Amino acid sequence: MNQNLYQSGVSLLNALSRHSDVIMRAYLVGSVDEKAAGPKVLESLQQLGVLWRPEPDAELRLKSVVRNLLEGSLQDERNRQIDTNMGSALAAIKTLSQHYKEALHHNRFVESQGHLGDLRQHVYALTESLANNVRLLFSRINNEFGYVASVDAKIRENELAQSQVSELLNQIELIRFDELGELAGNNRELRHLLVVMLQQSFTKVTKELSAVQARLIELIGRFREFRGRTRLLKGFVLHTDQNPQFSPRDYTAGSSIPSLFTCAPGLLEPASVDVNRVEHEPLLQDLVAHIRKVNRVAVNDKHDRAASSIDISQVAAIEIDDSQLRKAVEAYFCYVIDTGERITALQYLQWQQLDFDAEVWLYQVIGGYQSLDPVDQQFFAIEATGEAHPQFSGNYLIHDIELGLQ
Amino acid sequence: MMTEQGRVLTQLLSGQFICQITDEASWRFLKNNANRNAIEPHLALLNRALSTTAEGDVFFASYDSINDSERKHLGAQFQEISSNLRPLVDWLLLVQQAQGNDIPIGMGSPIRLTELQSTIEDTPAFTEQLEKLSRYRLFGSASTQTDGQLKQVFKRLHDLGYLAKPNPEKPIYIATGKIDYLYEVLRFIDETESLSLTEQAEAATSQGSLL
Repeated sequence: MNQNLYQSGVSLLNALSRHSDVIMRAYLVGSVDEKAAGPKVLESLQQLGVLWRPEPDAELRLKSVVRNLLEGSLQDERNRQIDTNMGSALAAIKTLSQHYKEALHHNRFVESQGHLGDLRQHVYALTESLANNVRLLFSRINNEFGYVASVDAKIRENELAQSQVSELLNQIELIRFDELGELAGNNRELRHLLVVMLQQSFTKVTKELSAVQARLIELIGRFREFRGRTRLLKGFVLHTDQNPQFSPRDYTAGSSIPSLFTCAPGLLEPASVDVNRVEHEPLLQDLVAHIRKVNRVAVNDKHDRAASSIDISQVAAIEIDDSQLRKAVEAYFCYVIDTGERITALQYLQWQQLDFDAEVWLYQVIGGYQSLDPVDQQFFAIEATGEAHPQFSGNYLIHDIELGLQ
Repeated sequence: MMTEQGRVLTQLLSGQFICQITDEASWRFLKNNANRNAIEPHLALLNRALSTTAEGDVFFASYDSINDSERKHLGAQFQEISSNLRPLVDWLLLVQQAQGNDIPIGMGSPIRLTELQSTIEDTPAFTEQLEKLSRYRLFGSASTQTDGQLKQVFKRLHDLGYLAKPNPEKPIYIATGKIDYLYEVLRFIDETESLSLTEQAEAATSQGSLL
């Protein structure tokens, strides 16, 4: 173990953890705020290769390796870089496997193990970066490019992703398994790494990439539709603003009406009750039972309550009517006094052919007699003919009245 | 008991637009070819036919043969559609802008009234737009408050079938297929009158970006 390398690695990681605050802020903002951190700290971070200054008067930035580490571990979707350079990785793998084979051939086992370790590292890195790229693409699809606001930007992002996918697919085609198989020969370790390992990830990645491509195409279709709709709406507003008189031709007037405008109106109305259906009876009864009777006085009836002037002339007319009857009764009384005959009220009514109801006449005669002074009453003899009520005692039914002088 | 077919027929004959949002069961029923064929003769009896919008996701009853009385009704209906276009387009754009994700309202888009209201109240330009569009005869709001205007506009759209309210307790609306029908009408007018609306909009935005 290289003690020196180990030591400096540990001190680098310690520095990272000590200044994690500065580094994370630089990662999120993009550059380091040099006033916030001490100059010593910045100096040491620059020496360790964590920060760098791209131009003399530019701000301090994170080195891309540190950024990549953070993006990879945090699965941050802001990372939209996809490393599609597979040719150089493949060339390195081929070269290393040749080193390994040569070392084995010369029986330099220790050296060969070193080469094998390197080779493993490269193959794993290649498969990891492939899987990572696919994951990145998927995460972008899953939130529908949510990191950009406008649909136009989404369309551009989608186009970028599509070009990256096709680039990745082109690069993957560079892996020729027949060549790799030949290179591995009958060496078990090499065969496992170059053929089995790579082939597995190859099939997995191509399958996923084709899914990604399909989803991307579907998404761009949707985005384009969104854009089309928005433009349609905005265009309509613009058009009607510029031509306020605009109204579309009446398409329903032509001989063939587009099916879009043949929408028929509703024609169903609620059905009526059939009271003769026996099976509906309980339901209807229930409904009737729940009808509420409202006792409120309708607004229109209120005029009955309003004060109204009383027509006195009408009352006078009734009095005239009344006085005719009274005069007739007076005449009847006078007749009895003049002649001294006894005559019943009904007989007088018939004889004089008076146009009064018999019952009213009798009442008026009785009333007339009652209204006389007690002194005057003494001159007359009044006798009612009638009978007791057959059912109710104490009631007397008067049929006629006979009037005479005492 | 009414069968599924009877239920769907009733909906169609009462002039409803059937889409996945308004009534998923009926929509699924109509998506089936055999069911559609079974329902056609019943409609034909009443001079109706089953129509869909171009993408086949919204169903409605249309006239089968068109004579004078039908033509008269269609003319009146068309007048109504064309006079309602501008208010509806203004409303669609307002909601799209206020929601801030640049995605146009289409079938299935949820609209949260409370969120929309707070965005509109916080942005004077939106408040003004709402004020203007709530005055259209279609919405007929007399309120001076954003709250009242917004509620009236949404109530009218709900009554007209452009929005569905899945839970009557909650102020969340979902756009129905009738909105897609509206887009189709717009597209149709655009094509037949050769207005080239999209090109106009595109030109306007590119000019805007130059300025």
